[in-house]
Amino acid sequence: MSQRTLTTQEALEMMADAFNEPLENLLPDTPRDSIPGWDSMGALMLIAELDERLGLELQAEVSREMKRVQHVLDFLAANGALAP
Amino acid sequence: MSFSRIDGFRIAGVSTCVPPTRVDNLDLGERYGAEDVRKVVSMAGVRHRHVVGDELTAVDLCTEAARRLLDQLGWAPESITGLIMVTQSPDHFLPSSACVVHAKLGLPVECAAFDMGLGCSGYPYGLYIAATMLKAGGQQRILMLHGETPSRFVHPDDHATSLLFGDAGSATALEASPAASPAPTTADAEPASFGLFTDGSGADGLIIRGGAFRDRSPADPRDLCVRMDGAGIFNFTIKRVPPLVNDTLAFAGLSVPDIDAYLFHQSNRFIMKHLMKKCGLSEDRVPFTIEDTGNCGGPSVAVTLTRALSERERDRPLRLMLLGYGVGLSWSSAIVMLPPDAVLLHGVCAQAPATATPDPSETKP
Repeated sequence: MSQRTLTTQEALEMMADAFNEPLENLLPDTPRDSIPGWDSMGALMLIAELDERLGLELQAEVSREMKRVQHVLDFLAANGALAP
Repeated sequence: MSFSRIDGFRIAGVSTCVPPTRVDNLDLGERYGAEDVRKVVSMAGVRHRHVVGDELTAVDLCTEAARRLLDQLGWAPESITGLIMVTQSPDHFLPSSACVVHAKLGLPVECAAFDMGLGCSGYPYGLYIAATMLKAGGQQRILMLHGETPSRFVHPDDHATSLLFGDAGSATALEASPAASPAPTTADAEPASFGLFTDGSGADGLIIRGGAFRDRSPADPRDLCVRMDGAGIFNFTIKRVPPLVNDTLAFAGLSVPDIDAYLFHQSNRFIMKHLMKKCGLSEDRVPFTIEDTGNCGGPSVAVTLTRALSERERDRPLRLMLLGYGVGLSWSSAIVMLPPDAVLLHGVCAQAPATATPDPSETKP
């Protein structure tokens, strides 16, 4: 569990940084396939952001199963890192 | 207990060699896509790579590095009592590459020679074995070679590895020296500290599945090339390397500023920068060479040592932390002193390829 939390907006901003994607393109329902930056390198960026900002370990196999932005938000919530 | 302290040896010199063919990744946009290439250059940090092609091997690169080092040190080949070749890019399954190099260098029969099959973690491991041999007695001078040609492992369609890997060979000369006193008065006499670790459960994360005896002729030719789970390797790196740095420092009774340079395996600039942040290391103590030589496996530690430190003023012994991590999964560290008079060489291998071992079919009766 993370000692720190992000709001949904902050989480989306984090993903925008990781995937080098304009924030307005990232909605919970946005599929991974439509985010060019969410490729293998983007996945590494997300792992790094979660580690650095929240001390969370996103395992590679969990990362591979993430198919839309909501799945990242779900991961944050499951680890106590998403502010209600 | 995976940490140990060893004295009774010194590093006399390090020599590294890269192949003459230099690839500019930015020239490969048409083949791999401009965006993929841009990402590799900007994030992984690899602009140029030296690659062997079909003619040179890790044995050739290491032999050339060793020849130059012996020449510069003025060490006669007959004075070498041990040869260790750390590689996962051998010329043959058998004999060992060390035996091939032994002949090429003209070393005496009174010389132990053997291979160690390690990759990215191989440089500290190789130093550790050399140090233990010197400490044990009987050995006077050891050449520890570490060479890899990962560009030969990659599948041309695999952008993640094709644009990342370069090739290099290295030779490190070590010799026996008087054992350090319990409280050494000079840093030069300080014992070295080593940390060696393994997690074989992650072996699938970086693997060539076929070609060896588990699957001699794989149904999928792709299995003759390396497969890398980049995210899985990153998970491993984040989890293991920061504690490796901190625990090695603690074992040696040192703190971050006590180390003059942290020489990381040049895996990927983005990953290395993340590790630096997590370990609290400043940029001036962590040299990067990946931009010009790519990820050349474990020898990248030696390449960084020769390239970064030869440009630096060395009026005193330098205390170095050497860090290897990757395939295995295996990770390792060493804190060693580099004497101010240690020879450091880096250059391009211009050696003409030669048949590694005599082919009996070519022998005339």
